[in-house]
Amino acid sequence: MFAYLVRRLALMVVTLVGISIVIFFLLRIVPGNIVDILFAAAGYVDPAEKANLERELGIDQPLVVQYLHWIGGLLRGDLGFSYVSEKPALEEILPRIPITARLAGLALLFSTSIGIPLGVISAVRQGTRLDYALRVVSLSGLSLPSFWLGLLILTASVSMFGTMPIFNPNPRDFWEAFATYAVPAAAVGFRSAALTMRITRSSMLEVLRQDYIRTARAKGASEASVNFHHALKNAILPVITVVGIEAAFLIGGLIVTETVFNIPGVARFLVEAIRWRDYPIVQNLVMFIAVVVVVANFTVDMLYAVFDPRIRYTD
Amino acid sequence: MSAIEYETELRRAGVGATQGWRRAFYLAQRHVLGAAGLIIMSVFVLTAVFADFLARFDPLTVDSAHALAGPSWQHWMGTDSFGRDVFSRIIHGARISLAVGIGSTALGSSIGVIVGLASGYLSGWVDLMFQRITDVLQALPLLVLALVMTAALGPSLPNVIIAIAIPLIPTVSRVIRANTLALREQPFVEAAKSIGMSEMRIALRHVLPNTMAPLIVLATAQLGSTILTEASLSFLGLGIPEPYPSWGRMLSESAAEYIRTAPWLVIFPGVAISLAVFGTNLFGDALRDVLDPRQRG
Amino acid sequence: MRSVRALAVVAAFSVFAVSNIALAGEPKQGGILRMYHRDSPGSASIHEGATYSLNVPFMPVFNNLVLYKQDVPQNSMNSIVPDLAESWAWSADNKKLTFKLRQGVKWHDGKPFTAADVKCTFDMLMGKSQQKFRQNPRKAWYSEVNDLTTNGDFEVSFNLKRPQPSLLALLASGYTPVYPCHVSPGDMRTNPIGTGPFKFVEFKANESIKLTRNPDYWKKGRPYLDGIELTIITNRSTAILAFVAGKFDMTFPTEVTIPLVKDVKTQAPNAICEITPTNVSTNIIVNSSSPPFDNQDIRRAMALALDRKAFTSILFEGQADIGGTMLPAPAGLWAMPKEMLETVPGYGPDVNANREEARKLMQKAGYGPDKRLAVKISTRNISIYRDPAVILIDQLKSIYIDGELDVVETANWFPKVARKDFTLGLNLTGNAVDDPDQSFFENYSCGSERNYTNYCNKEIEKLFDEQSQETNIEKRKKLVWEIDKKLQEDVARPIIFHSRMGSCWQPYVKGITMMVNSSYNGYRYEDVWLDK
Repeated sequence: MFAYLVRRLALMVVTLVGISIVIFFLLRIVPGNIVDILFAAAGYVDPAEKANLERELGIDQPLVVQYLHWIGGLLRGDLGFSYVSEKPALEEILPRIPITARLAGLALLFSTSIGIPLGVISAVRQGTRLDYALRVVSLSGLSLPSFWLGLLILTASVSMFGTMPIFNPNPRDFWEAFATYAVPAAAVGFRSAALTMRITRSSMLEVLRQDYIRTARAKGASEASVNFHHALKNAILPVITVVGIEAAFLIGGLIVTETVFNIPGVARFLVEAIRWRDYPIVQNLVMFIAVVVVVANFTVDMLYAVFDPRIRYTD
Repeated sequence: MSAIEYETELRRAGVGATQGWRRAFYLAQRHVLGAAGLIIMSVFVLTAVFADFLARFDPLTVDSAHALAGPSWQHWMGTDSFGRDVFSRIIHGARISLAVGIGSTALGSSIGVIVGLASGYLSGWVDLMFQRITDVLQALPLLVLALVMTAALGPSLPNVIIAIAIPLIPTVSRVIRANTLALREQPFVEAAKSIGMSEMRIALRHVLPNTMAPLIVLATAQLGSTILTEASLSFLGLGIPEPYPSWGRMLSESAAEYIRTAPWLVIFPGVAISLAVFGTNLFGDALRDVLDPRQRG
Repeated sequence: MRSVRALAVVAAFSVFAVSNIALAGEPKQGGILRMYHRDSPGSASIHEGATYSLNVPFMPVFNNLVLYKQDVPQNSMNSIVPDLAESWAWSADNKKLTFKLRQGVKWHDGKPFTAADVKCTFDMLMGKSQQKFRQNPRKAWYSEVNDLTTNGDFEVSFNLKRPQPSLLALLASGYTPVYPCHVSPGDMRTNPIGTGPFKFVEFKANESIKLTRNPDYWKKGRPYLDGIELTIITNRSTAILAFVAGKFDMTFPTEVTIPLVKDVKTQAPNAICEITPTNVSTNIIVNSSSPPFDNQDIRRAMALALDRKAFTSILFEGQADIGGTMLPAPAGLWAMPKEMLETVPGYGPDVNANREEARKLMQKAGYGPDKRLAVKISTRNISIYRDPAVILIDQLKSIYIDGELDVVETANWFPKVARKDFTLGLNLTGNAVDDPDQSFFENYSCGSERNYTNYCNKEIEKLFDEQSQETNIEKRKKLVWEIDKKLQEDVARPIIFHSRMGSCWQPYVKGITMMVNSSYNGYRYEDVWLDK
């Protein structure tokens, strides 16, 4: 077990180094840099000013030097400065994280609190009309473009209530704050609730076919006790994995949702930073997301290893 | 239930292997949702193939006299701000969406298969390397990767296909690798090895065909999400450029301006995307039931 | 006749502006003006950018030497008023412009404002100082200025190489604030210090920009507002929905398209919306240094094929202006009269006849229905660029040209254009000041950085200088018309149309005046107040 842990940790570091290389070089393959963009915005190019600016930002140096400079800084906790705002990258990224985290947390909450019960019901009532209806709803949840859903929600809200939930950094009260997070969270959560429901359902179905469930039933345990106590408990493990993976997918959904609902979180910030070729922001933000994803996966795997003795520790 | 079990069940129901139509009918009855999905998908594919015959107008011709006209007999789904017929654009858009969907799924899956097979079959350092690359790709959010890729390659149809395909590779290669690992221990592979078949041939002749079922299931499931990814990219301004009538572009451009003044511009492309993705999802679900018993739900 | 009509319109505009204030009653103090901003500007330094995304939020932080009077919609020499300068005077030979400066003005950090600050600002703009701007897009504006001299703390003179009456117009633009000597260009990008009615509070990239009232503002009783808050919303539909839902007092100026103005008016009938010319022209940049457009016939054919009415009716429901380089009347001051404009190839009213002629020219060049010319039309990946390109492609079909759209990401656009790696490009040109000096020298003079087509005609170049030195306005106008006509006939950079855009605000927002011949100069906001 200990050897497995060490091995997994080592692989995690390798993966993170790999990610840093991929994102660093991928970004620099993207044509144009911050200097091109700044001059594009100004509508002219002055080669001397351009060269100066590139030197000032250090993007005239060889790529390997730039890479080592970045990693060196990262290890010392120095993330560099945003090219656009000229503020420390950390100062730009840090305040935006809680906003996205809250949104993602609410979306996950929404997704599990709706997805899991519906998944269980759907599995227990397999083949009934209810099951069909739930499956169709969940599939449609996976079929709607999320920005479209978001815009329809906003438009409907303005048409029906004359107002809409838009992000306010200083909400008047709890309810305003709740509304500005809950509505976009629901828009993202709808999709992941559909996913959760589907996984729960198939996982439940598999468990329900197992011998011990038959045994429990034969022993006269009540239907509810069988479904929720015995079956769900065993079916939940794959669901947890998926919820863990979903956290990574959620970021994709959040990019679009934060744009539609104008929420100043990290996801939208990342897109803007890509647009501006603000390397320090993009690199560090992607690394941050990668760390979150990798650690989440690692934790899920560890939980698995602890709770499920069937896991082999060799892979 | 595996494919073989299905055969027995079909036979028990009195449907012989030769009676193609009755077989199909039986399957459709058992999987109403899947059949519905198949119908939607077929409509979608046929629309794409016969777009030139179905469209009532040229999807690119600008007509200032009829800009932003609502739905009518002349223009079934109205016209956009350039006076282009929305119905014809949606019909032709099916082609683009299908190209993106099938193109990127096929590309992503084929690379995934190669990586997965190599990784699972060759093991050793090849496996270790491919596995790490997969880890790296998986830790980057799909849309972020696609965003950087399209920015890097520039907006065009082939580039969007590539950008969407790459994030698909890890999922496919993971599944194929796991399958290959399991298959490698199977007696028929051992047997092939003992009669002196080359590794390459074993991989291609025996292992690959046996991983097809999960691959097809996975690919169908991803078809829908690639279409949605293209729409999201378009929304963020990096999808397929004008003048191609991509659904994602039609939706995201018009949604910004005309959501209330000309709602038909927002509703029809949105419905087209949702329906197409819904159809592939329904079909994919049924396919999974039939082909991949372990994942059945 | 024409000038009479123009006068009438100008008068109507001013009456409107005056009545706007007169009806509003006594201005009230207090309140925060909430606006949305269309995008996140790259920095907070007006001198280092060339987009009014910078002027709108940061003009209120500064003062100029002189300024276009903020409640007169049409910028002209007559509407220039003192700002940090109390008065100005030209020397007898028209080569020296002297400003007497206001005394007792303080920068937001408490330091006193003096003539040295003015000299610093313009030395830096001319690239003569030790400290340099990262980017200096309007250096060319001061090409005729030799140097600046100060006389004590409160007098400064611009010494010119030759007379240039328009210099004053350039100094009155929102693009020409006076910067403090004691703050570095880098600090001005992140934490601007001005003398203006509002102090900079914070700028969170992609999120918001906040300004607060400057209690020590030198103009007594101003500003009325306690502050201005701009929330950055890049998604246009979200922004408009939020305005309609009452989350904002005002939209971003000249950013509401004509269909959206209609939408706002139905959703929020009380909102006040004005559609004004932006002095941004949409034009075609032609690469005349390589085939096929090195052929004068093909260039002319293309110019003849344009149906400008179709462009404006599709993109602006007819509410845009057709003209040459200079902004068309009545809003514009320097445009050719209509009769003169119609003699330029492609501007005649009969589109079919024009196209017939164009097809003949194409046939002369060896093209026809069976031998069509395939060209790429490059443009930026932004809808205001892309949309006209789609129409252009459609129109060129009629003269045997098959255009293919080549969409270029913003970051690659200028490098591509600079490399001459295009055949036809669709481009937007914004004019900060409705003045020929700004537009001609910047876009058409040999060697100018913004002369994307490298059009270079020494004869016209002489006329540029001649008009620039002319102090008699009527004589200058005649010259300008002649130049503009020649530029269009040469197909140097065919102008398709001059756009108009809407701006909306809630009925309780008072004291807003939208400028009709520039979208860069009207955002000081010291006279804006909220009636609630």
